Amino acid sequence: MGTAVGLAGELDTSSGDISAGATSLLPSAEAQPPIDHPVISVDGLTKDYGHGRGVFDVSFQVGKGEVFGFLGPNGAGKTTTIRHLMGFAAPQRGHTSILDMDCWKQSSRIIRQVGYLPGEIALPEGLTGMQFIRFMQGMRGYRDEERLNTLLDLFQLDPRGKTKRMSLGNKRKLAVVTAFMGDPDVLLLDEPSSGLDPIMQLRFIDFMRQEKSRGKTILLSSHMFSEVGAVCDRIAIIKDGRIVSTVRTDDIRHNESKTYHVGFGTLEDFQSFLSGRGPRITFADQEEKVIEVQIHDDDVNHLISRLAQCNVTRFQERKLTLEDYFLHFYTRDPQESTHESRH
Amino acid sequence: MPINSALLRQTTRENVTLWGVLTAVQCLLVGVIGMTAPIAAAGIAYYNMLPGIFMGVYAITVGNKLISSQVDRGTLAYVLSNPVKRSTVIVTQVVFFAGSLLAMCTLSAVAHSLGAYFSTFGANSAEIQTIFKLNLGLFTLALSFAGIVFAASCLFNLSKYTIAVGGGIVCAFLLFPIMAMFGSKFAFLSNLTVVSLYKVGSIMASGTGWAWDLVILAAIGLVAFAAGGVAFVRRDLPL
Repeated sequence: MGTAVGLAGELDTSSGDISAGATSLLPSAEAQPPIDHPVISVDGLTKDYGHGRGVFDVSFQVGKGEVFGFLGPNGAGKTTTIRHLMGFAAPQRGHTSILDMDCWKQSSRIIRQVGYLPGEIALPEGLTGMQFIRFMQGMRGYRDEERLNTLLDLFQLDPRGKTKRMSLGNKRKLAVVTAFMGDPDVLLLDEPSSGLDPIMQLRFIDFMRQEKSRGKTILLSSHMFSEVGAVCDRIAIIKDGRIVSTVRTDDIRHNESKTYHVGFGTLEDFQSFLSGRGPRITFADQEEKVIEVQIHDDDVNHLISRLAQCNVTRFQERKLTLEDYFLHFYTRDPQESTHESRH
Repeated sequence: MPINSALLRQTTRENVTLWGVLTAVQCLLVGVIGMTAPIAAAGIAYYNMLPGIFMGVYAITVGNKLISSQVDRGTLAYVLSNPVKRSTVIVTQVVFFAGSLLAMCTLSAVAHSLGAYFSTFGANSAEIQTIFKLNLGLFTLALSFAGIVFAASCLFNLSKYTIAVGGGIVCAFLLFPIMAMFGSKFAFLSNLTVVSLYKVGSIMASGTGWAWDLVILAAIGLVAFAAGGVAFVRRDLPL
């Protein structure tokens, strides 16, 4: 069973699969009930850039104090959606609003309350980090030295050097500091931790949790499962410009259906378990004498009592992860396209 | 007028070097010319040729940097992630653009006047006035160039298109009068360029007919600034 996750938990949809059986254990992504007074609201947003690029009928709402994850690989439409929320582009159809204000018509008013971290770090030329910070403070008309210093310490950033000579990680830290230094109520973060080293990624995740506990509303676009899974209350999975699923992170974490991986010592036990009545078997390999079964948590005692009669060499729970859930939506196309390319 | 002082400071910082170099060269040239040639001769020989090219270079480079290049590189995202209206961004950039050109032409006039004043020919007040009129004309010509490039800068997401279209028009305007000198076949080209509205001879002669030409030049610039600004405020930005 392949998982398409690298060491840092970064998304790679080019490999990996999930068994058909495991997908049936996925928590159902039921229609989310509407949120009263959402802070961020995207309703039927459509922007067609041609050749299948753009976003199509994207809808979601983010409530106050909620961290909403926007998960999808590059080019899926995450940045396009955020671009509309920032008022950089007008919707072709649909509507976007933050704090009940129209994102296209009232963007400069909205942005008083919004911290934005762009996906691409393109800092103005010829400035030191500190000059850039002062420039952004001047533009915003807000200066809080205590918070600035706290953020600089937290992310261990020395802003004295020229931005041009900064490493990608330091540029990203600078962008993070400037996004948060005005202490905005709403944060739109486009792949905030890509380019940060793993220690800083963890620190950033902790920091987002703290901000969440302070009641901040955060929209977090990412292709990193570790980040999204760790902080988000809900996650929308976007594929080819369409939201294919919106799910509560807790539903994945506390999913009551589990997959167990069982290895047998003898072929007889393997075959007897396979032929007997009982839990749903999703995978079997006679050569390795290995099966995978899916059961609800209530049936675990029954499974154990059945296995007690066999010579079991291995018994492992295979947890359903966000990666599994995500790949369920993403692994079909590569296989289909491979299939098509052969003909 | 809605301008953002932090953005104005940043824009000044980004463009002050080019401004300084071009202004210094321009001032040095007119200063030396003022000291070595009578104003009438300097007017015809110099103001018809080089300053227009200086202004063209400045307008193309800075016009592109003010909007298009920042959209192209994505740095404008930082500007617009602050509570500032797009129209404020436009007005701020135009104020810098027009202001820097005005400062450049004023300094040029002062340098020329000082050169003439301390020359062996001396300079009377009428001649000093002429110098300022020539530079006022230069300013309006520069304003029309700046407006054209700025409008292109507001329209295009990529610097290369701004340079090609805005810069191309300004270069053509500068080249047409030169090409028109190649014979009667090309004479019509002098009617296709705004540079023809900057009539050095007419400014130096008595009369006020030249003033209307300068008003037209300034109007071309202002209309182009306004059109570019409106387009920029309304369009999608790929930031």
